[in-house]
Amino acid sequence: MSDNKECIIKAVGLKKYYKGGEIKALDGVSLEIDKGEVVVIIGPSGSGKSTFLRSLNLLEIPTDGSIFFDGVDIAAKHVDINKHRQKMGMVFQHFNLFPHMTVLQNMTLAPVKLLKKTPEEAETKALEFLRKVGLYDRAQAYPSQLSGGQKQRIAIVRALCMEPEVMLFDEPTSALDPELVGEVLDVMKNLASTGMTMVCVTHEMGFAREVADRVIFMCDGVIVEQGTPEKIFTAPENPRLRQFLQSIL
Amino acid sequence: MGFFNSLKDEFVLNFIEKGRWKSLFKGLGNTLLITLFAVIIGIAIGIIIAVIRTTYDKNAETLKKNGGVKYRIMKVLNTLCNLYLTVVRGTPVVVQLMIFYFVIFTFVDNGLIIAILAFGLNSGAYVAEIFRGGIMSIDNGQFEAGRSLGFNYFQTMRYIVIPQVIKNVLPTLCNEFIVLLKETSVAGYVGIADLTKAGDLIRGATFSAFMPLIAVALIYLTVVVILTKLVKKLEMRLRRDER
Repeated sequence: MSDNKECIIKAVGLKKYYKGGEIKALDGVSLEIDKGEVVVIIGPSGSGKSTFLRSLNLLEIPTDGSIFFDGVDIAAKHVDINKHRQKMGMVFQHFNLFPHMTVLQNMTLAPVKLLKKTPEEAETKALEFLRKVGLYDRAQAYPSQLSGGQKQRIAIVRALCMEPEVMLFDEPTSALDPELVGEVLDVMKNLASTGMTMVCVTHEMGFAREVADRVIFMCDGVIVEQGTPEKIFTAPENPRLRQFLQSIL
Repeated sequence: MGFFNSLKDEFVLNFIEKGRWKSLFKGLGNTLLITLFAVIIGIAIGIIIAVIRTTYDKNAETLKKNGGVKYRIMKVLNTLCNLYLTVVRGTPVVVQLMIFYFVIFTFVDNGLIIAILAFGLNSGAYVAEIFRGGIMSIDNGQFEAGRSLGFNYFQTMRYIVIPQVIKNVLPTLCNEFIVLLKETSVAGYVGIADLTKAGDLIRGATFSAFMPLIAVALIYLTVVVILTKLVKKLEMRLRRDER
């Protein structure tokens, strides 16, 4: 990446071992992500891509290595990770909306409790987001009344209500019916066009091709190859990547 | 007609004479009082213990890795909780009650307060296990979603997990309270005139067992049936919120 860009996340030598090193989910992953960059991580299942993404906001505690977010090593001891997580939005494969709250409550809980916004402020902001993703009329609905695509769109804007600097997506469309994938990807594309920094683990190669600034291919807990979408999809070098692309395209 | 006449005489003797029915209602009042406050204590203790134990279960590894004071505190708390659960669930409530009354709180005059404390502490152990099961049954994704928004562990518990747990465990919790209501019938062992004791006192005064004991049983039954109905209604309302 060019030097004049501002690095926002920098992972250095991330390792995640289970069973005392018997299983190496991450085996030394280093990556720099610039502000405004859209990074898509692809790879076969079990390659460690989700583990890597989840390490970035410490949902997985790495066995070794550092994660610099805005210049602070958040993997170090005695760091208030909760403060940093407020600035890193996350979207999960299974949405994880809070079922006992309405859509609006889902979206305003964290801004009110953590950012100390007034409920009115938070609601105004939330409704604005809902309008943008076309779900304004579902503000008072409960998650169980929504389709998968709607749930995921709500999950995205719930994270956005915290005004994060980075958005992490952990296979956001993998649990969706095929016909609902498009509506979620559209929201993500719009988000990318606003200049949001995004790190996205996905199997949607079309999305990667169209939106990504950089595609990362992971395999067996390491980054095997990375580059622009054109390079990755049209001129892959690594045999594992070629094999992977053949099997899915 | 002789049978009915004697039944009527019995009734008058046991309930009307000397206003004996009043003591039954006073007893019922005491029973409800003990149960109500014991329930409140039980829920408070139960939630605290359940949160401590699940926190330890879920985070022991992370805490251990970071080491230090936090891990040791959690470990001590967890051990204390386990000790409490073992002792309370391993001994009969009536023995606990008598130990409270005759051994520990000999300086307290008010038996009612001791009973509330004893039954509350007892119920807390059972409620703790109900809540623990409830917390464990909440999908881990809920914790992760809360944490990823920036809530700390306890905020996540408070705003996101516990409200769902309460809704889920309500039927079991209610069952526990109905059990507790009936269990307070041993309060007479420490001289509290609860419903059972009141009936027993009438029996002692009139030398007639049938009427007072059946009356006591019917009163318990009525209260339990009403409580069950109320909780069913509450459950329905909570459910409707989600649909």
